Amino acid sequence: MTLSGETPVRSGLDADVALAAGGDTSAFERLYQANVGRIHSLTRRMLGTHEADEVTQDIFVRTWQKLGQFRGESAFSTWLHRLAVNVVIEKRRSFAIQRGRMTDDADALDMLTVPAARADLTVDFEHAIEQLPPGAREIFVLHDVEGYKHREIAVMLDIATGTSKRQLHRARMLMRKHLGGL
Amino acid sequence: MTMHEEWTDRLSDYLDGELSADEQRALESHLRTCAPCAAVLNDLKRVVARAQAAGAVARPPQADLWAGIAERIDASRTWNAGAVAPDNVAAFRGRAPRRIAFTLPQLAAAAIVVAAVSGGLAWQLRPGLSSDRVASTDLSGSPAAPTTSSTDAALSPAEAGRPFRGADADAGSARFETVGLADAQYDAAVADLEKALKTGRGKLDSSTIAIVEHNLEIIDQAINQAREALVGDPANTYLSSHLVEARRRKLDLLRRATALTTDMD
Repeated sequence: MTLSGETPVRSGLDADVALAAGGDTSAFERLYQANVGRIHSLTRRMLGTHEADEVTQDIFVRTWQKLGQFRGESAFSTWLHRLAVNVVIEKRRSFAIQRGRMTDDADALDMLTVPAARADLTVDFEHAIEQLPPGAREIFVLHDVEGYKHREIAVMLDIATGTSKRQLHRARMLMRKHLGGL
Repeated sequence: MTMHEEWTDRLSDYLDGELSADEQRALESHLRTCAPCAAVLNDLKRVVARAQAAGAVARPPQADLWAGIAERIDASRTWNAGAVAPDNVAAFRGRAPRRIAFTLPQLAAAAIVVAAVSGGLAWQLRPGLSSDRVASTDLSGSPAAPTTSSTDAALSPAEAGRPFRGADADAGSARFETVGLADAQYDAAVADLEKALKTGRGKLDSSTIAIVEHNLEIIDQAINQAREALVGDPANTYLSSHLVEARRRKLDLLRRATALTTDMD
């Protein structure tokens, strides 16, 4: 047993994060419980209900494996969310290749038959997001739902900033069409 | 009137503050005179507001996903047996100035030591063994060595993280040691055991001695580095527990190795 490596000490690091990093699965379960709602919502919006459960599990397993890379320079939830976005983007590319659906379906929302004035507007909105064509959908979720900037999205997705802006506007117009019945 | 795409195409950029000042003024001028385009802008504002509201709502999965995650984590831990979650150990870079790493030779040596001395421990803990017999672990064969009293006293269940069956417990009194791992007690216990081991080392084969000494050296290194790290981060509970654990391990190893020499009598 040797002790090695030097890094600055960060005080106030969440105790459960430190415990989990040391191999404490109970602490990691608490981290899971505290964050699973947001992570699952992200995966559901980006990938759809059918993929969300499995990918959420993948994200937390990856998180467990990568805890050693968490330096405490940001909140754990922020670090986790960024890791989750990266996993989701990987999965999206993988799924897109598998399903041969690299092209967007601009008329996807036209196929929706859900009335705009549904009583459960939240479910309606979530459902509408899931119907967006892939390219517009991921940018809409990342920008408008998750709050990332175009320049951040461009880096994540390896696209031009202008492409991100165009896809976002396209997504908003499609969502407007669905939600407003316009 | 109908909306004008040449203007509505810029509405998202306008909402996001992405237009230049000139473009913004021109668009606002158009919106003042074009109700359909202004209506589209209002619709887009609603969409963005709904999206932001949705982002604030975290809806958990309907199924329990933790069981599957735990299973996969356990599988990876088993796969990495002996070097569990190496990435995780490095996590303490952000929490402590140092991290722990085990090399395979070190782990192998530790495993050999554990295997070699476990017989001694089992012998120590076997039912009916008198506390005096356990106490006489120095090679002189003296049954009343102060070694054991200070050694046992230094083992703290609370600090070591598990109950320790002291000599009296071995004798059947079921009393658990409760004395703390104070520095003075610990140092005295270690000194006693080191002295006893030194006296009895001639009864151990050279490979066992080499392994024991190697592991003591490693543990000492861990103790010293944990102490150094605690100077910079005295409130670090991980480092504190790590130090206590390393000290306990040293005491255990010394005690068991000393018992081995007694076994040779």
